[in-house]
Amino acid sequence: MQPQEINEYLHHFFRNSNCEILTQHPHYMNVQLTIEMDKKIMNRPFYWRYVESVGETPNPAKLMLITDIEQLKDGIKGEVVHIGSPRLHQLFRVTREMGSFVKMHERVSGDAVLTPWIGVNIKVSYKSHQTKELLYSLGINLMTGAVFQDFQETLCTLDLVNEPPEHVFHLPFIIQPQRAFERLDHVINQIIEKEDHQWVDEAKKRWRKDQAVLDYFYEGLDEKPNSYEIEKQAIAERFMPKITIDIINGGLFYLR
Amino acid sequence: MQLEKSTVWQEGFLERLEQRKPWDSWEVYKMSYNIAKKHLIDNFTGLQSLKYLPNVKPLAHQLEVAERVIGEMNGKAILADEVGLGKTIEAGLILKEYLIRGLVKKALILVPASLANQWVVELHTKFHIPALLYKKNYELDYVDVVVMSMDTAKRSPHKEKVLAQDYDLIIVDEAHKLKNHQTISYKFVENLKKKFCLLLTATPIQNDIFELFYLVTLLKQGHLGNYEEFSSVFSTKKRNAEQEEYLKELVGQVMVRNRRQNTGIEWTSRKVQAIPVEFTSSEKETYRLLTELKEVSPVFADSFTTLTLQREMCSSQDAVFVTLSKLLEECTSPQEKERVNAIMRQLVHQSTHSKADKAVELIKQANDKVILFTEYRATQLYLSDVLFSKGISNVIFNGRLSKNSREWIKHLFQQKAQVLIATESGAEGINLQFCHHVINYDLPWNPMKLEQRIGRVHRLGQAHDVHIYNLAVQDTIDDHILSVLEGKIETFEKVVGELDDILTAR
Repeated sequence: MQPQEINEYLHHFFRNSNCEILTQHPHYMNVQLTIEMDKKIMNRPFYWRYVESVGETPNPAKLMLITDIEQLKDGIKGEVVHIGSPRLHQLFRVTREMGSFVKMHERVSGDAVLTPWIGVNIKVSYKSHQTKELLYSLGINLMTGAVFQDFQETLCTLDLVNEPPEHVFHLPFIIQPQRAFERLDHVINQIIEKEDHQWVDEAKKRWRKDQAVLDYFYEGLDEKPNSYEIEKQAIAERFMPKITIDIINGGLFYLR
Repeated sequence: MQLEKSTVWQEGFLERLEQRKPWDSWEVYKMSYNIAKKHLIDNFTGLQSLKYLPNVKPLAHQLEVAERVIGEMNGKAILADEVGLGKTIEAGLILKEYLIRGLVKKALILVPASLANQWVVELHTKFHIPALLYKKNYELDYVDVVVMSMDTAKRSPHKEKVLAQDYDLIIVDEAHKLKNHQTISYKFVENLKKKFCLLLTATPIQNDIFELFYLVTLLKQGHLGNYEEFSSVFSTKKRNAEQEEYLKELVGQVMVRNRRQNTGIEWTSRKVQAIPVEFTSSEKETYRLLTELKEVSPVFADSFTTLTLQREMCSSQDAVFVTLSKLLEECTSPQEKERVNAIMRQLVHQSTHSKADKAVELIKQANDKVILFTEYRATQLYLSDVLFSKGISNVIFNGRLSKNSREWIKHLFQQKAQVLIATESGAEGINLQFCHHVINYDLPWNPMKLEQRIGRVHRLGQAHDVHIYNLAVQDTIDDHILSVLEGKIETFEKVVGELDDILTAR
């Protein structure tokens, strides 16, 4: 992320979480946090417990965030935010937390019938001694059970609103959410199966090799000492191929 | 293969369907997806961490090391770059990469106490890793990356606290301190689970090849076979070029070593000079009498005592005097006492020391900042007096100084004093690139100590050629030390790789 992108992201993030942006500049910004945001990111539970127990007027923090220190000449002081800085990653986490579940409707004019879908964005991680991640976006039609990929890209081309438009008929689910989850699980498993899993063979090969070296070291000992078990465990943890499936976010969508 | 998934999201979704909790904003939802997509680790290989480290510009050799350790060595390696090439940066890169890839959650960094703070600061400022310096009453459960002094960590109750944690990555700085497999430090590290492990040392062999055996074994048991086999092939008596080549190959699989020359960086050169010193006839006489003491009394009978007295005589009268007066108390017969007293009287009458005179001459000639290393505290004080009497400003540096005092002395040396007189302990980890003359006033038995000393000055950031002067008194124990040093350097070069000039220009 370039400084400009970070600036745009922060702007977007605070505006969407109702924090007032006091000063907006291409290279920095001054933000008044809401009470809710202060509690989330300022890490001062004792202050809040005190304020709430005494009944004092709450005073949520203001943040001065600098997004491009190199362009800044006039003595602005504040927290430098760049990719890799703990603050930005904290805000990424909060973004994820605050954007996990949505219910959206396609905007239509006049009478229309909208079909329910569940959409999920899934991160699949392959882990052994190394890692690789893939992002899948799946949508399942709760009427037919049909599953589509790249669902999020499709959603982004539509005009979606929070409240259901008037004169619109929402079809009820035929497929219950619980069943839909099972079906999505099945699909993601199939997708994973079709992937190239040479990495698993590679990890196992390295695993066997390290284990053989270790066994050789203790060859001939009937009772293996504790250090053998520790190392054996370390080797297993290093090379055990693992796949984790992590839902970033998802929602219920009524679409034409 | 393991498959991990959670149903937390599904449960949250159902809660909202039943209207027990509010839905989130579509704008934030889209942002979250875009962040996930943008920061995906899209490749098994290559360094992801660079994207997140705008403040670090690693050098080519440092990147190569990080890639090789992760890609080929499975995160278990001895980082053995020559002093001053940035092993900390390499270790930081590797740690950061594993943190980003989610392969390391908890990391333990074991360092000499004097370097602990420096590590914490570097990890914070360069790598944005919130490392914590361990204090005695800390609970380790909630600390992901912790920096601890080895001396603290290996002792109860800290040892038990460390062993109760599940660390994914262990980093040991100055790992040559683990060369002896019978020490508490070695056994402590041996018992740690090492999923990933980095041992940092510029000097993986200091005295003999078995140190390397134990270091490699600590990292990866069995990699060099077991002790019996190893010692039958590599006993010091018989040498076999073919075996040594094979060993070098094996060691290369778990060790990376960059030399200054092949980093692609323009290095200033090292000008090493051996400076012979000739004793005066009076000093020669004293040296002879000291050597003969072993025949006079059982107090002086063991060879170590003789060796010590000889080495001290080659350093300063003050150094010998301290030892002699202690030994005098152990003498019982009047004859013994008289012999010792006679020598002590001689020492008192010698108002100068030939080596000290030579050092003064070199310092005047250099007409610039000089760091001088001695093995003895008494010599350190003596030299300080001698230099002051010749109008040469100087400061003293040793292991007894607190962290703050060390910084202060370093500051004084940089700003005010011409000479820094240092003993070995305390010198590790300080960087003195502003100085380009090193006098090795006394020679240690271990060539790597010399390399470490020179490394204080000859490191990244040094703009001038570095002059090194090795002083040795002719026809004394100093000659013997020189030949031992040469032998050890030869062993190192055969198995680990070439060394930069330490003893003489080659």
